[in-house]
Amino acid sequence: MPEIKNIIKGCLSGNRRDQELLYRRHAARLYAVCLQYSGNDDEARDILQEGFIKIFENLVHYKHEGSFEGWMHRIVVNTALEKYRSKHNLYRVDDIDLIPEQDAAQETEDYAGLEAVDLLDIIRELPPKYRMVFNLFAIEGYSHKEISEMVNISEGTSKSNLSRARIILQRKVSLYTGLKKDAVNG
Amino acid sequence: MVNKQADIDLLFRNGLKDFEVLPPAEIWDNIRPAIRKKPQPVILLRSAALIAVLFSLSFLAYRTSRQSPSPVQDPFLAFDQESVRPQPVPADPVLVKLMPATDRQPAVLIHDQIPGLIPLAELNDEEYNLQSGPNLVPETRNLNFPGNLMIPSGIQAVRGPDYMADNTASDYANLYDPGYEELKEKTDRWSVTAMASPTYYMRPVVNSSDMTDQISSWEQSRISYSGGLSFSYKISKKLSIQSGVYYSSIGNEVDNIRSFTGFSKFDYTKGDHNFEVMTSSGTIFTQNPDVFLADNAGDRVVTKYTNDVFDPGKANLSYLNNSLFQNFSYLEMPVIVRYKLVDKSLDFNLIGGLSYNLLVNNSVHAMIDGNKYDIGKTAGLNSFMVSSSFGMGMEYNLSEKISLNLEPTFRYYLNPFGNLQSTRTHPYSFGVFSGLSYRF
Repeated sequence: MPEIKNIIKGCLSGNRRDQELLYRRHAARLYAVCLQYSGNDDEARDILQEGFIKIFENLVHYKHEGSFEGWMHRIVVNTALEKYRSKHNLYRVDDIDLIPEQDAAQETEDYAGLEAVDLLDIIRELPPKYRMVFNLFAIEGYSHKEISEMVNISEGTSKSNLSRARIILQRKVSLYTGLKKDAVNG
Repeated sequence: MVNKQADIDLLFRNGLKDFEVLPPAEIWDNIRPAIRKKPQPVILLRSAALIAVLFSLSFLAYRTSRQSPSPVQDPFLAFDQESVRPQPVPADPVLVKLMPATDRQPAVLIHDQIPGLIPLAELNDEEYNLQSGPNLVPETRNLNFPGNLMIPSGIQAVRGPDYMADNTASDYANLYDPGYEELKEKTDRWSVTAMASPTYYMRPVVNSSDMTDQISSWEQSRISYSGGLSFSYKISKKLSIQSGVYYSSIGNEVDNIRSFTGFSKFDYTKGDHNFEVMTSSGTIFTQNPDVFLADNAGDRVVTKYTNDVFDPGKANLSYLNNSLFQNFSYLEMPVIVRYKLVDKSLDFNLIGGLSYNLLVNNSVHAMIDGNKYDIGKTAGLNSFMVSSSFGMGMEYNLSEKISLNLEPTFRYYLNPFGNLQSTRTHPYSFGVFSGLSYRF
C-alpha cells in the first residue's frame, strides 16, 4: 500500500493514479462528514466535490506535520460552512430565539443500540442553523466565540442554537432507541 | 445536567467518528477535470518573475554587446573605401476563518466500542476496489423504522480505515506557511540532456540598396549544426528551467567570387589585406597573401588589384573555386524555460528563452578537391550575440529515468551578426534538436 507521503508527492507532480488513489482512500469518510453537515444528498455531493477540488488545489500547502486526514477534514468542514453561509443570507442578529442552556438535556436515556447511520439520520433532520452549531461545537470542538465568528451570529445565539439542537437530538435519540427496543422485543 | 449534555455530544461525536458512506461514482468524474486545468497562481507568479529576469538579462546583454565593438571592426585599408561602401542607414486557500481553539479537545476514538463496527485491525485498504471490491462492499442498514425514521435511501454505510480528527492549532496554521515549496517533489528534479540539431539560418535583407541586393542575391546559408549538454531543473510539475553549454557552427556560402593561389610573388604591398569582400555577415579580409580574389557578378571585392591592374589568367594563377565559405562558431549558454502542456508517456512542452552566444571561431576558406584552402577572416562580427528561441518539445519516456527528446526550435537573434551598417541584419534560424535526457 503506498504511503500517504508518496501519494501526495504523486498528486503534486500531476500523477492521475495517485490523485484517484487519494480520492478513493478518503472519499467515503469525507462524504459522511458532508452528509452530517447537509440536509440533503445533493448538497452533500456538492460539498464533497468542491471540498476535494480544494484539497487538490491546496495540497502544496500541507506540510506533513499534522494529521493529513484532519487537514482534509477541515477543508471539507469549511466548504460546508461556506455553503451554509451562502445559502442562509446571514446578517448578525443578536440574542434571538434564546433559551436557557439548562433547559437542554432533560432526559436520561440509554443510547445502546444506536448505530452511526441512525445518528447521521438524526443529525440531518435538524434545522440547518441548529445542525451547524451542533456540528461545530459538539463534533469539531469549536468554542461558542469561534462559532459566532464563523457563522456570523452572537455567542448567545450560538449557545441557544446548541441548546435547541441538543433538545431535539435527545428527543430523536429517545424515539429511535424506543423504536429499536420495540423492534427487538417484537 | 451537564453530564447529560456531554452524553448527547459524545454520543454523536464518537458515533460518527469513523463512519463512512460511499459517495456516488460521478463525483470523481466531476473532480478529475477540475483539478487538471487549474494552475497554481504561485507558479504563474514565478513564471512571470522568471520571464522578467530573463528579459532584463537579455536587455543588459544586448546593451553590453552594442557598446563593445569587435576587435576586428576597424581594419586597415590601403585605399578609399567610401566609394564602394553603402551609405549609413538611418536609423484559498479556502480554510480561512476556522481559527483553532486553544481549548479545543480532541475527539475520543471509540471506534471499536460502537456496536456492529468491524474492528480496525480487520480493515483492508484496497483503494481501487472501494466501489466494488470484496473488502469494502457497501453495507446497508435495514432497521425497518417507520415513517420519517427510515434511513435515507442512497446512504450506505461502510467501514473503512482508522480516522482521527485532529484539531491542533499547528496543523491548521501550516496551510498559510509560505515555505510550502520545500514540500514539493524532491526526486528527479534534475535532468541532463544531450542534444544536437542541424540548423538552417536565414538573413533577411533589411535595407535594400544596390550593394545589399547584390550581396544577398549571391549568398546562401549552408546547413549548420548545434549541439551540447544542458541541465534542467524542475521548478514545479509543469515548469522547468534549463541551461548548459552548446557549440554551434554556422556556415555561409558566398558565390561568384573566384579565388586563385600563387599571387604572393606578384604582391608588392606590405599590408595583409589585399582583398576585401562585402558579405551580409561582415567584410571578409584575406590573411593569406597567396590568395587572389575577383568578383564575377559585381563590386563586392574591394582591392587595388582590379582587373585593369592585374589579370590572374595572364599571371597563370591556380584557380581554386567560384565560392567562398564563411564559418562562424559560437559557444552558447541557453537559459530556457520549459512549460509542460501534456503530461503523458509522450510529453509536450512549450519552450522559450534566450541564448548567450560567444564567438569562438571565425574563418573563411575556399574548397578545392574537397580540401579547405584558408582565405582569411570575416571582420565586423559581433563577438557576443543574444538570441531568443521558441519551440515545441516532445519528450518520450523510454524508461523512468531516460527520455527521448525532439524539439523543433525557432531562433531569432536580438542583435545583428555584424557591426557594420551594411550588415546589420538580424538572422533567424530553424532547427530540430534531438537527443536523450537522463533524470536524477
